[in-house]
Amino acid sequence: MSNPSEINGGSAVAMIGKDCVAIACDLRLGLQSVTVSGDFEKIFQYGGNFVAFTGLATDVQTVSTELRQKHALYEMVEERSMEPNTAAHLVSSMLYSRRFAPWFVGPLVAGINSTTGEPYVCSFDSIGSMDVSHDFVVTGTATNQLYGMAESLYEKDMSPEQLFETISQTLLCAADRDAITGSGGLVYVIEKNGKVTKKLLKSRQD
Amino acid sequence: MADRYSFSLTTFSPNGKLIQIEYALQAVNAGVTSVGIKAQNGVVLATEKKVMSQLVDGDSLTKISQITPDVGMVYSGMGPDFRVLVDKARKNAHSNYKMIYQEYPPTRVVVQDIARTVQEATQAGGVRPYGVSLLVAGYDDNHKFGLYQIDPSGSYYPWKATAIGKGSSSAKTFLEKRWNEELELEDAIHITLLTLKESIEGEMTGDNVEICVVGLPNDDMLGFEGVPNVQGPRFRTLSSQEIQDRLDSL
Amino acid sequence: MDILLGIRTQNEVLLITSRSLARGISVLKSDDVKVLECNKHTALAFSGEPGDTTNFVEFIRANVRLYGFQNKQELTTHAVASYARKELATSLRSRKPYQVNILVAGHNGTPELHWIDYLGTNVTLPYAAHGYASYYVLSTLDRWWTETLTLEEGLELARKCIDELEKRMPIDFKGCNIHVVDQNGVRLHE
Repeated sequence: MSNPSEINGGSAVAMIGKDCVAIACDLRLGLQSVTVSGDFEKIFQYGGNFVAFTGLATDVQTVSTELRQKHALYEMVEERSMEPNTAAHLVSSMLYSRRFAPWFVGPLVAGINSTTGEPYVCSFDSIGSMDVSHDFVVTGTATNQLYGMAESLYEKDMSPEQLFETISQTLLCAADRDAITGSGGLVYVIEKNGKVTKKLLKSRQD
Repeated sequence: MADRYSFSLTTFSPNGKLIQIEYALQAVNAGVTSVGIKAQNGVVLATEKKVMSQLVDGDSLTKISQITPDVGMVYSGMGPDFRVLVDKARKNAHSNYKMIYQEYPPTRVVVQDIARTVQEATQAGGVRPYGVSLLVAGYDDNHKFGLYQIDPSGSYYPWKATAIGKGSSSAKTFLEKRWNEELELEDAIHITLLTLKESIEGEMTGDNVEICVVGLPNDDMLGFEGVPNVQGPRFRTLSSQEIQDRLDSL
Repeated sequence: MDILLGIRTQNEVLLITSRSLARGISVLKSDDVKVLECNKHTALAFSGEPGDTTNFVEFIRANVRLYGFQNKQELTTHAVASYARKELATSLRSRKPYQVNILVAGHNGTPELHWIDYLGTNVTLPYAAHGYASYYVLSTLDRWWTETLTLEEGLELARKCIDELEKRMPIDFKGCNIHVVDQNGVRLHE
């Protein structure tokens, strides 16, 4: 209870494949041990960029809507779409602007650069320190479990289908070892050609 | 504060004009001519550097300023007002853009930002409009090369080629005849010099003409080499020798 | 801790709230109403710090009504919930945050139930509970709730929950009010 980032529970993971990226989150929202909702999605779409927010649910809602506003404004002013690295820097500066009263969120950004075609994933701490990765990033209350699963299942240059299997198993198995992550999962697979697949995963509901 | 005018002095006249802005435009039209031309592979900005006296140290005087590595601008009108806008534009490019997105603003965002500043001076209290028109040249990955004009009213226009200041109308007539889609940067510099030649009294030298280009990245200006995917600034000032060479071959 | 419970049925939302108002070791009131009609089709059920609760909920109602007067168009339940959430989320980082948990129940063509805690967490749910009561009733609701409950079945389910609470809660909460929000608006049942 004393740690705001662990009141509601929840985790997310993002991975890079060959000409594709995937991002996944669980669906649980709880108050400590009690599950309040089993369809609380933590991944938000901003054009071609997918951002997962874990942590304190109220801040997840606040920051995700604030980012929605900033993203919409950017696309109107600049008359172009926002690239994933730009979105990541925007998230970073939003969080750092609250350096001394932070939002208790742990975001992930995933997307594919529309000009270079490069897949991009990035994670943050609650005050906006960026960690750009060339394989996978994890966040949330099941961080340790996710690292363990991702380290053992991840391979380079996976196809969208392989990537979906890998990220799903990573999430599901990690969630099984964290009491406040779970109640099903959600996976987005984003391909270079612009194809986006959203799939819901079923898992134990306790 | 009762002794201070806190309301705008720019008020509409009965015929719907804002006379203060018209006066500002007159200040611009009395100013030294500046020319801008957009070519296929770059943009060129040029102006005459009028030196009042032989004793003035002309080398340290520059009328074209860099805003970001890929954007620069020149003015016709009042120099001090220009420098205020340059300061604001540079600061804004960082505070409201680079510090947020870790990249420099595209040309049009720079232009819109300056135009907003200029417009605010036509409506705010306790200020006068800026006595300058600007030509802004720049490059960004999405819209490639761009050339814009900003007026004291805050309106801005994208151009293929244009001129501002004292000799602007005859310069524009000249540019209309000379400009075409196939222009290369070197041709554009050539035409710029020819255009300026019409309005400059006396001899044209590398010392009384100032030229800047936004063209290919200048990796030699980075200060280091060997890092892939890092580009040098596209904005570059031509040295007086470079200008003199081109004048000689006119 | 007060009881705050919401059940969405096929055509209405039920709000079940305890009737006791206690302070310290004394019960001050045994016919307390913890539900406020926000606009014609939206009700707010509330619990938390006494003083904060009424102040917050009346503030929300006043502004929702003002919006209705000014725009000749009432806010939807979803909009009321989003507005209340924003107020709570803003208040959370102020010097003295509102300590109020609410349920927003409404009917705009379809019945709708929002669970919002004092942190500003807003979720749409089929059934919801705040406070200690949630420990007792959530499993009952998990077992018996279906998408197609009639009003009668909904009331029966509410009965099951209240029975459980009366059996297990360590204090006497003086029974419950059941408010029904349907297409005709908000009404107290029985």
